[in-house]
Amino acid sequence: MLTLNGEIMKTKTSSIFTRFDINLEVEKQKVRKVSTDELLQEVADCVAEGDDDEIENIVKNVLKTKSPVKVIDEGLIPGMNEVTRLWDEGVYFLPQVILSSDTMIAGIALCEKRMGKLMEKKGKVVTHTAEGDIHDIGQVIVNALLNAAGFEVINLGADVPVDEVVKACKLHNPVMLTGTALMTTTMTAFPKIAAELKELGLNIPFVCGGGAVSEEYVISFDYGVWGKEASQASAMAEDALKGLSWQEIRNKWNG
Amino acid sequence: MKLTSSMAYKNPQEIMFGKAIKPVITKRGLKIGGGNVIPEIVPHPRPGREKDKGTLIREFERANDDALERCVNVGHPYLVIENEHIYQMTNNPSWGGEIAAQTAHQMDEYKDKYGLIAAYRSTIADIRKPDIVNMRDSDQTRKVFESFNECARHSDIVSIESMGGKEIFDYSIIRNDITGMLFAQAILGGRDVEWIWKQIVKIAKKHNCIPGGDTDCAQANTAMFMAGGFLSKNIPHTLAALCRAISAGRTLVAYECGATGPGKDCAYENPIIKAITGIPIATEGKTSACAHSALCGNVIAAVCDLWSNEAVEFHDMFGGSSAAVFTEILGYDAALMNASVELGYQKQFQACLIASDRYRDPQAFILCPDNAWTIGKAITDNSESCFTRARAAALKCGELILGDPKMMLTAFENKSLLDYLKELDSLPDNEGDFIDICLKKYSKVKGFNPASYGF
Amino acid sequence: MTRLGIAIDIGTSGIRAQAINLASGEIISTAITTYHPIPGGNIIDHLHFALEMGVETAQSMLVNAVNKVINELHVQTKDVERIGLCGNTVQLSLFQGMEIRDLAYTGKRKLESLGVVPPKRDAAIIIARDIAELDLPGRCEVIIPPAIKHEIGADALAMIIQSGILEKNETSLVTDYGTNAEMALFHEGRIITGSTAAGPALEGQQISCGMLAVPGSISDIESIISGHRVKVLNSQMIPVEGYTVNINNGNIIDKINNSHPLGITGTGTIAIIDQAIEANIITIPRINTDDAKLHFGENIYFTEHDLFEAGKAIGAIRTGHISLCQEAGIALKDIRSVYMSGATGTYVDAIKAQKLGMIPSHVKTVYQIGNTSLAMAVDLVRDPKNLDIMANIANKLRKTYYMFASSETFKKVYMLEIAFWTEGMPMSLYRKFLKRYGLSDLLPVEKKPKVIRTVNRDIKDLGRMGLTIIPKIGRTTQAKFKGCSLLMKCIEECPENAISIIGDTKPATFALDQSLCIGMACKRCERVCPEKVFKLKDFFVRQNKNEM
Repeated sequence: MLTLNGEIMKTKTSSIFTRFDINLEVEKQKVRKVSTDELLQEVADCVAEGDDDEIENIVKNVLKTKSPVKVIDEGLIPGMNEVTRLWDEGVYFLPQVILSSDTMIAGIALCEKRMGKLMEKKGKVVTHTAEGDIHDIGQVIVNALLNAAGFEVINLGADVPVDEVVKACKLHNPVMLTGTALMTTTMTAFPKIAAELKELGLNIPFVCGGGAVSEEYVISFDYGVWGKEASQASAMAEDALKGLSWQEIRNKWNG
Repeated sequence: MKLTSSMAYKNPQEIMFGKAIKPVITKRGLKIGGGNVIPEIVPHPRPGREKDKGTLIREFERANDDALERCVNVGHPYLVIENEHIYQMTNNPSWGGEIAAQTAHQMDEYKDKYGLIAAYRSTIADIRKPDIVNMRDSDQTRKVFESFNECARHSDIVSIESMGGKEIFDYSIIRNDITGMLFAQAILGGRDVEWIWKQIVKIAKKHNCIPGGDTDCAQANTAMFMAGGFLSKNIPHTLAALCRAISAGRTLVAYECGATGPGKDCAYENPIIKAITGIPIATEGKTSACAHSALCGNVIAAVCDLWSNEAVEFHDMFGGSSAAVFTEILGYDAALMNASVELGYQKQFQACLIASDRYRDPQAFILCPDNAWTIGKAITDNSESCFTRARAAALKCGELILGDPKMMLTAFENKSLLDYLKELDSLPDNEGDFIDICLKKYSKVKGFNPASYGF
Repeated sequence: MTRLGIAIDIGTSGIRAQAINLASGEIISTAITTYHPIPGGNIIDHLHFALEMGVETAQSMLVNAVNKVINELHVQTKDVERIGLCGNTVQLSLFQGMEIRDLAYTGKRKLESLGVVPPKRDAAIIIARDIAELDLPGRCEVIIPPAIKHEIGADALAMIIQSGILEKNETSLVTDYGTNAEMALFHEGRIITGSTAAGPALEGQQISCGMLAVPGSISDIESIISGHRVKVLNSQMIPVEGYTVNINNGNIIDKINNSHPLGITGTGTIAIIDQAIEANIITIPRINTDDAKLHFGENIYFTEHDLFEAGKAIGAIRTGHISLCQEAGIALKDIRSVYMSGATGTYVDAIKAQKLGMIPSHVKTVYQIGNTSLAMAVDLVRDPKNLDIMANIANKLRKTYYMFASSETFKKVYMLEIAFWTEGMPMSLYRKFLKRYGLSDLLPVEKKPKVIRTVNRDIKDLGRMGLTIIPKIGRTTQAKFKGCSLLMKCIEECPENAISIIGDTKPATFALDQSLCIGMACKRCERVCPEKVFKLKDFFVRQNKNEM
């Protein structure tokens, strides 16, 4: 019997049964092929790897034979989509997503230079960190994820006065505005921004989050939508792009 | 057409389940006869579902999907689905074609989504009723070929259960007339198989589809069915055994015309075919009890490459739909056989399959690999004509049954067998003479049209 | 008459004071609070309150609380000739009623638009009369230590001085494991300081069943064969063994004494995370029990959210350490000695803290040095010359202050920490990123360091009259609101149950327990008011003048 056990242990199972579920899991956890073209796949792989050192060489090389639009649409963006998918799967982690997003942006910039114009983005989102606050890690994450999702990010940076935020919204007419604050002392700028937007008739969902910013506080003023996690930003922006009102977005994500 | 005169397998010990000398590869890369036994599920629509095309397509969509899904759920790595056409699917060639296209699409999806490797076999219904139409020139004939065309485009494998000789066979069997049965199976059947398969092979090749094979279901299985179980006394089981041996030469013609296997599941003569040709075969045994009873439930698996259930009507069972349930059963059987291969115990496992049925019934006995090979040898050694090889197969079959003292027979079966063998011995040696006698003898049989067979 | 001095440490989580015999230097008595009088759990809350209510109000509350603490020292206040203060910049500024907007806003643009001129905050000796409402003889000296930079105050300076690192020529690191974790790296004669907003989790706050280190709190847990043995602080603030519990469900396995723990301290939190990881019950960020909680007896539990909170605090500290090393051009493994201060730094099991990454991996010796802020205040009282030493060092350190909030290194690493603690990013990937960023590697602990506790509790000497704990430092104040129709929404809404209604006056009289109120960042009571008449501010107006 002992020998038999030994033989059973050595048995290959592939001809006997297949764990489709595990294969699928393994398959899902890999960067999938996004292009049959070797060069475009290389671009996608570079984005998936988040190799911001190499992207310039790779994109420049592909641009010798391919149009910039093709490089963006069939290399850079599909590569980023794989990263987002793997993040959703729990295989990739936030730092990788941010790195890949930066890599993609660097690649897109090269393509835009070649095109002589900026690429068409889905829609604009204005982001900022509250006046008086320089703690912008949350905003850095939001920017990266919005870029990854194909939005044009108008990044106003940190410590941005109320007027400047309002001015940027007037100029760009974004689908969404975000505000980050770590300190409760600075979050008081948010309702002021919302009030000014309202006065100007700029009906823009205003997602506020970070540090000590509570849901209860954000939903106390019109336009305010509470962003629990930075990672929600792109899905909220998609909703805004679809034309959901700030009330609808708030109903969906808050409460 | 040159008749086969040599054996693919030099000795019966070499014939093993899961492995054939000439494996075939399907469109999605499934290798049949390449080392693994693969389940082949055959779901059938419920009565009434043929009322219109949409309903029937939906029925097959559900059944085939259930089968595929069950494979994924229990981990069966490979699957062949066979859809045997019901009358309407061939009579309206677009029906069968659309179902084939739909199934191919389902299989592609399962491959993309889960990596399941599946293949589809369309078995066209032979709607040429020999007693009603001219087998070679009728609307039905044209529809059969049109169906092959429609299905071969999407299917991996095409097959048919051809009907040639059935009118004479039915006439003879109820009269206990072994000569008529030999004429029906070997001569009429053989000629019809040749005529139809030369064309099927052409169509299949045109569509990069595998020309699977035929079966003498219409005749040998009628005999098996009439012989029934041990309580049934309609016809002796020894006659059914002889019928089986005779059918091998008839079914062999398809492969001689270019069919490559896998042979059709209900061709119980397939162990003989595999011994002769080395092509992969489908068989069915205990798993086809849902369709009919048989006395060779295990031994018939001894050299199979596809393991089938014959046909199961689509309906709900406690464990899911019948398509899913039978897929699961077939797959576990296949897993068992494949595990024995992995362990290096396939000979022992095969011995168990054989031993459990060898002396159960003469029909099982003659299908044991050693006997099947010996019958095959008689066929290839007498390759002058379809007649000579069929008679030789029958005589060898009888000899084997009588030659093994452990093979017990009732007195009735014993006596009948001796009578059949005597009658077979008395026939002329030359096929031409035999045909002349039979054409004359059976010319008055109602519905027999010699032109159907090129006479 | 005994000439008396009083040392006062104003921390974010409470006030600690000691009475000292000026002649002998002997410590007479100790009093501590378990809350800060100003609503809120961190300095930002305190600043927010001061911004909204005015610095004078905040100062008044703080000074009155200090008066109360001094009163509980049970000495003759008329004999007090000198008080020495220490604490973080926010507290000392509020106590003095100084400009605080430069502390409340970190952004330069905002400060410029407000025209804020940041005060100097140098070392100073003033007199009690200069501090409004301070209930001490007017001529009593008040010694105010300097701040280095707004985030790094006198308390950080105290930590550096009290640790003694400046006298040794060794690469060492001092960290106060508090809400605002101040840290200083000493390497080849250079000191780099920084401070990170770790959050209050490591002080037992923002944790479901968390509490400050006070008697009755769980300060440690230890795995034994039958389960986990809890350690609870006794009335002398010394950890003693409590019961053994099955942390999966809270069943008590054996009870060796009649302890009834009340909650979990910051050190308990660290021990819980470490021990549950060891037992494979925590796989960051998940708790693998049926209800995704750990249990430590009746109604004491630890949730996944608590794990996030603690993880972010631990992560902020580790990020600070990595950033300081980067700035100094050394690797984490080059650090030889670590000094841990603050209540958490003193009581925590250093080995467990190291396993969680709060102490660098290759440290040879860990010193747990207690509350250095109070010790510094004591030194200032005993010898005011110490103020000059502090001023000198402060001047030097201003040049090497490292502002984490604007550091790219800090941001990058903190993002790794977020992924590590909230997404379960594996350490191997974390290290790969560090390598990619060209930062110091996080090596596994190879050899346990030697742990030296220089004190057996965070206040070394409680004095012959011992310790008084003041559980309630805030006042309960009243207010009435015209137009209130008694729907009681404010009372229902308050997350801390700080509001109640008293008597049956018209309009109704509401009472607010200031020590429970969490402050201006909340204000749910105000927002929920259907008539919009409730004003939280009214409870904090000085002298309660609004009684009608």
